[in-house]
Amino acid sequence: MTTELRHQEIAIQPKDSEVVLSVEEISKKFCRNLRRSLLYGVQDIATELSGGKRTSAKLRSQEFWALRDVSFQLRRGEAVGLVGSNGAGKSTLLRIISGLINPDTGAVKIRGRLAPLIALGAGFNPILTGRENIYANMSILGLSTKEIKAKFEEVVDFAEIWEAIDTPVQNYSSGMAARLGFACAVHTEPDIFLIDEVLSVGDVKFKMKCHRRLAKLREKGTAFVLVSHNSHSILNICNTAIYLAKGQLITVGETEAVVRKYEEDLCLSGMEKATGPLILPRKSPDESFGLDITLVGFKDAQGNILETPMSGEPVNLCVECFAHRYIDSANLGVVVKSLSGENDRVLYFTSASDNESLKITPGNTELQIQMPYCCLIPGVYSAKIYIKSGVCSFDVVESFRFTVQADKTISRSLFYQPRTWKVISK
Amino acid sequence: MGRDLLASRELAWRLMVRNITAQYRQSFLGIAWAFVPPIVMAAGFTIASDANVINVGATDLPYPAYVMFSTALWQTFVEALSGPVQAVTVAKPMLARVNFPREAIVLAKVGEVFFNFAIKLLLIVALFLWFQIAVGWTVVLAIVALIHLVMLGTFFGLLLAPLGALYQDVSKGITMITGFWLFLTPVVFPVPREGTFGFLVNLNPVTPLLVTTRELATTGVVSDPYGFWVASLFAFIGLLLAWVAFRVSMPFVIERISS
Repeated sequence: MTTELRHQEIAIQPKDSEVVLSVEEISKKFCRNLRRSLLYGVQDIATELSGGKRTSAKLRSQEFWALRDVSFQLRRGEAVGLVGSNGAGKSTLLRIISGLINPDTGAVKIRGRLAPLIALGAGFNPILTGRENIYANMSILGLSTKEIKAKFEEVVDFAEIWEAIDTPVQNYSSGMAARLGFACAVHTEPDIFLIDEVLSVGDVKFKMKCHRRLAKLREKGTAFVLVSHNSHSILNICNTAIYLAKGQLITVGETEAVVRKYEEDLCLSGMEKATGPLILPRKSPDESFGLDITLVGFKDAQGNILETPMSGEPVNLCVECFAHRYIDSANLGVVVKSLSGENDRVLYFTSASDNESLKITPGNTELQIQMPYCCLIPGVYSAKIYIKSGVCSFDVVESFRFTVQADKTISRSLFYQPRTWKVISK
Repeated sequence: MGRDLLASRELAWRLMVRNITAQYRQSFLGIAWAFVPPIVMAAGFTIASDANVINVGATDLPYPAYVMFSTALWQTFVEALSGPVQAVTVAKPMLARVNFPREAIVLAKVGEVFFNFAIKLLLIVALFLWFQIAVGWTVVLAIVALIHLVMLGTFFGLLLAPLGALYQDVSKGITMITGFWLFLTPVVFPVPREGTFGFLVNLNPVTPLLVTTRELATTGVVSDPYGFWVASLFAFIGLLLAWVAFRVSMPFVIERISS
């Protein structure tokens, strides 16, 4: 149902007057060496003050691009998710949007008030009581004393700290402090909300409350920029997503597609693509033990070769072999290890343990393991395949590498669960 | 720029209240800290002067009162000078995360300086009563001179604040330099008129401001009105320029200090 809603929202193309945030080709460079970084800072200040032009489009020694030519737009009531691995530039982008730091090139245009949920409890002084800190924190976030007074009760209610409101914040539990911080930030009622990995404060009950509150704000037309490693929350909240990697914008678009691309890259990073069947050279009769594996690969139900099996789709694992003699009860074994994760064994089965004894006649034979669903999640795997008879081993393929892909997001699961849905009224 | 200053007024007030409350709540002696240093300083110099270890010459007030009052003024100047650097250093985590008018933290600090002076005023009033120093109507004007003195301090502080957030050397340097500066300011001695030392003391922009404040509060006779206005003008223009520089440089500082 949520997916449908999202599609509808995209279908309605809002007018450009609805654009509340427009990021235009911003770039930002950073320096890894602290000493040099500070020196560059002083240099920049000096050139800026003397009215000189900074060569901001060029990298100085030891600098790198933390962000490079990133552009996107955000309209009223829209939510955009930022995904990317650590150091991709997500937080830098948020900080540039919030106006904390200036981009080296490009510009950010904002219409309305913007509240960063980057720092919960900014300006909290541990010595002071919750009450005093609410006033201090909310005025830092840009509210007048009158506005704070009007919202004070609501904030305390939301944070659920009635009895602790006059206790110094240093005596709060970390959850209480985080709740108070979140409550303060969320009650500033901005036009654009920047959220950086903060939806994970407090216990489950409070988290639900936060999500409800954000949903309500969104109905009122608040726009969101959300950073999270948790693709689940991005999928739930955002209708569009942006995928950053090493400061570059990789893709922008519909959340599902962007998150899928991100997760694929996450699984496959540091690995060469392993696709297609593995074809083995024919052995000479001296090397052979009577049966040689010639090909290992995947085929679909129609017998077409599959480059990559898809999660949740039917797939046949095919082992072609050449037998020099008749074999009465061959035993085909498969061990699958995941290369994307921690090299764990994920699957192990043999024909013998399934009580299938395979009869192989001389010549070429294809052995098929028919699987109605590929239950592996997307990633790269390595399979060890062997054919034995009793204790006598005929042939072994130590590593057949293959990649599993998916057309839906399932990486939150450990395996694919085949399923159908039904509503039964009683 | 002016709009930001106005917008930050309320926030500055809030921050000031927060800082002062936190400061006094965490301190056992509380406001005594405002009194003790001038008293200790006065005691030290009075003893030294009485024992003829140092020879300071004639002052227009009883010597202990002279030292105490001057020290209170000098302290106010030093607070105004080191205030912005301190404020920016302390507020680093906040600056790195929330975008708010940055003038507010400096403004809050200036407010604190005046608050601290108000407390010292209790000491000064007690002092004047004790030594039976006559006070003329010009005491009202002394407040204006004091504001100029604080402006001069804030000017230097504001100029150093962005750099101070980047390099710790700045705050260390300030401690050292103000220690030396004290000896170039007529705090424990009357204004010298001749010699290289006299020249240096008179070149020091703090001298005319501090001396005029003191004179307006006590004798009512301003010995160097010309110097006072030159130093005041220096403070005005300097403060304005330092403010612009502060605004321009803070984004650069924030991008370097933050996580």
